[in-house]
Amino acid sequence: MQPTTEQRLWMYRHMVLSRYLEERIESLYMEGKTPVFNMAKGPIPGEMHLSNGQEPCAVGVCAHLDPEDIVTATHRPHHIAVAKGVDLDAMVAEIFGKATGLAGGRGGHMHLFDAKVNFSCSGIIGEGLGPAVGAALSRKLQGKPGVAVAFMGEGAANQGAFHEALNLAAVWQLPVVFVIEDNAWGISVAKQASTAVPRNDRRAAAYDMPGVHVADNDVEAIFSAAGEAIARVREGQGPTLIEIETARLAGHFMGDGEDYRPKGEKEGLKQRDPIPRYRKQLLDAGLLDDASDDTLVEGAHARVEAAIRFAQDSEFLPPEAALEAVFV
Amino acid sequence: MTTTTSAGTRKLTIARAMAEATAQEMRNDPRVFVMGEDIGPLGGVFGNTRGLYDEFGPERVRDTPISETAFIGAAVGAASDGMRPIVELMFVDFFGVCMDAIYNLMAKNTYFSGGKVKVPMVLMTSTGGGYSDAGQHSQCLYGTFAHLPGMKVVAPSNAYDAKGLMTAAIHDDNPVVFMYHKSLQGMGWLGTEKGATVPVPEESYTLEIGKAAVVREGHDVTLVSLAAGVHHCLRAAQALEDEGFSAEVVDLRSLVPLDRETLRASVAKTGRLIVVDEDYHSFGVSGEIIASVVEHDHACLKAAPRRVAYPDIPIPFAPTMEQWALPNADKIVDAFHQMMLS
Amino acid sequence: MSIVITVPDDLWEGDSEGVITAWLVNDGAEVAQGDLVAEVMVEKAQYEIEAPSTGVLSITKQEDEVVEKGETIASLES
Repeated sequence: MQPTTEQRLWMYRHMVLSRYLEERIESLYMEGKTPVFNMAKGPIPGEMHLSNGQEPCAVGVCAHLDPEDIVTATHRPHHIAVAKGVDLDAMVAEIFGKATGLAGGRGGHMHLFDAKVNFSCSGIIGEGLGPAVGAALSRKLQGKPGVAVAFMGEGAANQGAFHEALNLAAVWQLPVVFVIEDNAWGISVAKQASTAVPRNDRRAAAYDMPGVHVADNDVEAIFSAAGEAIARVREGQGPTLIEIETARLAGHFMGDGEDYRPKGEKEGLKQRDPIPRYRKQLLDAGLLDDASDDTLVEGAHARVEAAIRFAQDSEFLPPEAALEAVFV
Repeated sequence: MTTTTSAGTRKLTIARAMAEATAQEMRNDPRVFVMGEDIGPLGGVFGNTRGLYDEFGPERVRDTPISETAFIGAAVGAASDGMRPIVELMFVDFFGVCMDAIYNLMAKNTYFSGGKVKVPMVLMTSTGGGYSDAGQHSQCLYGTFAHLPGMKVVAPSNAYDAKGLMTAAIHDDNPVVFMYHKSLQGMGWLGTEKGATVPVPEESYTLEIGKAAVVREGHDVTLVSLAAGVHHCLRAAQALEDEGFSAEVVDLRSLVPLDRETLRASVAKTGRLIVVDEDYHSFGVSGEIIASVVEHDHACLKAAPRRVAYPDIPIPFAPTMEQWALPNADKIVDAFHQMMLS
Repeated sequence: MSIVITVPDDLWEGDSEGVITAWLVNDGAEVAQGDLVAEVMVEKAQYEIEAPSTGVLSITKQEDEVVEKGETIASLES
């Protein structure tokens, strides 16, 4: 399955936007945290898991999704939220903890919920799978259109929830696609040290569903694999498991010294940064030139800056609002 | 590290105290080994297994997959088969994915075997918030674990207690849940309570599980807490002293078994009780403490007991909301003032 | 004789500043060569400072103070 020119440029633009968002968050996150790195300080306190390098997974999959389709994401959710069309202003405001945020600041960066586009995420590994299966079941029972996609990291494939959810989706033939973003590291533990199979797509065989592997963080290969899997679930042909070889260009979280990585690994990954690679691919194909690239990049940056300004200019909820929204 | 620093002057963070206790027991007892996520070369996300991998290697200091159900269940099996595993649940909030192994196996196998099967394991887990990590990474859940019979529960407030309790937990033939509060660990990036880093003897020692400590004597009110809450109480006691009141502070140290004798003796002396708990207000530690005193002797109280606990809400991310909801010394002082007015 | 304790130049990579998160020995106490005396944090990484010789510790940089590589943080009198 080949993307159209419009889809190619959409994917590129959303990768650029997502990356710039992470770069801006990175610098704002460090405000108030130097020279003393205290997570509680600065305009964005708490843990921060940046998605730099994993953008192809988000855009290659979400290019096939409509707002009515369901996505569950992980503790590292920004790129997926951006590609799924989560309200950027409200998302950034939530990351800042502001009243105008998706949850008025109650959730923060690991707990983003935008019901308008059927997006949610969780800070607990593997816990997005069950809800994706259930949302797919709901659509099937209600006879409503829409499919579900559960994103997870490769470490999540070693959780019981992974195996239970895959089996359930397969036995009930539900419209759900499972997407593993394999960035090779679960915090400090390498995939090969924690996982009995070299490729998790092989685990699909255990649930008699198609298992697809995508190598090298390749945007269009992801687009193609996801497109076929999503077309199958839309036709009621049951779930698919996809594992994508991607790259975590940042630490597990901000402040991670990453001493566990072999020397030179990070530099090598950065040389294979998927965004410049895709830019070159589009330039070579004549779908982009320097002038149109500049315009696209400037537009994406401006959108991010506007969202950050919106967040910065927003107020915090009064502290007592902590007591609200426990129940509807 | 050498062992020549003059006695009583060497201080440790709780993280180092836990690692030192574990290392000493691993040297003494080949049955002791450690499993968990990122506890190997990284030394634990919260520093409490630092140095163990270098000294004991990958056989005895085992990084696990993100598979808590499997490795905590495996610890139960290994413990029942004669080993003495120490396992880490990185954040206590993650208990949801593996609670069956904890409360249906670890906590019940001894009972279901009529006392014939021992489960000598330590489950160590981080608790607490205050640094905007939101409601899936900031809970204490002391009451949740203490509520379930069959496992001992400890929660130290300083490095001296942490080392003694860790050693005792490893020696214990029963499962022990060792709950360490992130703000006390001595990891600067979590903001560190200075009062938790205290002199710690280099030689191995144990602290009896199930014994509270009166960490400050007084006669006007008893402030009871555990872990980080003890430091809030000590600050409140200092503030009350400046107002001319004398507060006694009881550090529970263990929740199971609960040292009701020490509690009751203190309240019998002061006649007033304030319980401070970073865990949720309802159905938890604070209610149990008050009940333990009142059901024993309601006449010992000169005023209705009070609690300064976390409201019954998931922990919010925004620092404005989270800090407002957390217990602190000012809230304890306020609670005392209200008690004296009523 | 007085010997200074400095932050070793190779304690961490790069030129970042660190902060002393804990003195693990009280001011005025006697320490032995090789004893762990302080922790320095750079972002989330913690590094250890050992006593370069035996002596009585005199702290010049307190907890929470920012330090650079090569900076003197204490001295040892023997």
